[in-house]
Amino acid sequence: MKAPEGMFDESVIYVTKQGAQVQVDGGRIVIWDVDGDEGELASFPIEKLDTINVFGGVNFSTPFVARANEHGIVLNYFTQHGKYRGSFVPEKNTIAEVRRAQYDLSRERELDIARQMIAGKIRNARTLLSRKGVRGTDVLKDLGVRTESDATKDDLRGTEGEAAERYFQLLDETLADGWMFEKRTKRPPEDHINSLLSLTYVFMKNEVLSALRQYNLDPFLGVLHADRHGRPSLALDLQEEFRPIFCDAFVIRLVNRGVVNHDDFRKDNRLSDGAFKTYLEKFEDYMNEELTHPHFEYTVTRRKAVRQQAILLRKAITDELDEYHPLTFAR
Amino acid sequence: MSTPQTIGQRDTLVPVSALNEFVYCPRRFYYQHYHDEMGTPYELVDGRSKHEKQSQRGGWITERYFRAAELSLHGKIDLIESDGDLLTPVERKRAESGQYFPSDEIQLAGYCMLLESAIEEPVNVGYIYLYKTDERYAIQITESHRETVRKIIDKIQSLSVDSIPPLTDNPKKCEACSAREYCMPAETARLEPEKARGTGWEGQI
Ligand code: SF4
Repeated sequence: MKAPEGMFDESVIYVTKQGAQVQVDGGRIVIWDVDGDEGELASFPIEKLDTINVFGGVNFSTPFVARANEHGIVLNYFTQHGKYRGSFVPEKNTIAEVRRAQYDLSRERELDIARQMIAGKIRNARTLLSRKGVRGTDVLKDLGVRTESDATKDDLRGTEGEAAERYFQLLDETLADGWMFEKRTKRPPEDHINSLLSLTYVFMKNEVLSALRQYNLDPFLGVLHADRHGRPSLALDLQEEFRPIFCDAFVIRLVNRGVVNHDDFRKDNRLSDGAFKTYLEKFEDYMNEELTHPHFEYTVTRRKAVRQQAILLRKAITDELDEYHPLTFAR
Repeated sequence: MSTPQTIGQRDTLVPVSALNEFVYCPRRFYYQHYHDEMGTPYELVDGRSKHEKQSQRGGWITERYFRAAELSLHGKIDLIESDGDLLTPVERKRAESGQYFPSDEIQLAGYCMLLESAIEEPVNVGYIYLYKTDERYAIQITESHRETVRKIIDKIQSLSVDSIPPLTDNPKKCEACSAREYCMPAETARLEPEKARGTGWEGQI
């Protein structure tokens, strides 16, 4: 099967240079070093971009923001260390018919979609472990089957919890010497591995947010994660299937290949400035890396695969497809 | 969903350009209309053409907006050739292939019908101009063209958000279709083969 011509490639850019300003010049977006004297740092054709992530002290010119609004470009703000601060979301990103379908989803339909997502996550967890030669994943297999009979969202959350626990117990075996994964800790991450996992989940969440917004789904209305004020529940839902196979796999790669060392962390377990830049570069490379799509058999970048899932989710929500088809890797 | 909304309820008039889009692929039309861009803001075009009210004698009239409630049709005609009393709409096409399509003829027929309703005189000929070859074709607008236009308007007006048109019967069209990435015809045929049944995508995978 032939892949459709892509416009997703390089659709996301990251600006980390402190004191930089994002401007427009004709049809191009120009990153300018206004504080220093490096001049033009980079430029991109405006119609290709859909997301700009900025870190710390980066500014936007007013004409640029107007243009971003016109072209549907989402701006995500992070602190210099990658903590998410907020977003500028262009006006055109609300298409009534799609939103209506999303708000009108029945409980059963939500549960159906959520089941597919969690089953997909468990499948991918097993695949990641087996790719790394880890045994003892039969429990995960059983839990994957159990999702089918979970009759409520709470049941499903329970199954997911058990699977996550089992999976994280086994994750340790995938790490090179000198690295340990004891248990998953979030706020704050208590060790270097947890810190890398948390960071990667934030970045993936933003990939998913961009994808949902591009297709006009409301990221704050979830199918499984409870809707809490300010929490992008649908993004968290859709992120589930990517966690093991994309996020965790990325972190394992970083530490096993020695791209990130223990020395790269500060006392609070966060990456040092230099290491964070390296991390960003690697993450970007990783999302642009191509793989053979497991269901469609053509080559896609990871970023594109994620965006296609947003489309498939939207098709399930608007009833164009009967089911949500998660991105699962069987091997 | 509770009350299916039809396009007819939302916009009472159908833009002429929609005829062409619908003939190309009703599904793509559905996407454009319900899921993505909502099309040209016609009010704006309308406003602009008011400034150009003074008609010319001989030569060209450009960018003129028309609406015809009795046809349920509206739209902007980019170019009208005026030769004495005779007005002839011209539809210009980039047409990389060097040829025009039946859907272009239908669009032109729509323009002719709009124009004749405005000037209250029959307009039975229109031109299709191809940039690529710098050639102009005179198209005789027949009753069957008109009938097709009316039928498509009907179909467009009864289109409902709850029923997505099937994949095209001609997968070749998908190759050049701007909605392809979103529509995912081949992927749909693979994930849910029953959705491709009876379309051109059946058996393609
Ligand atoms: S990709 Fe093919 S089926 Fe889909 S809208 Fe375009 S032409 Fe129609």
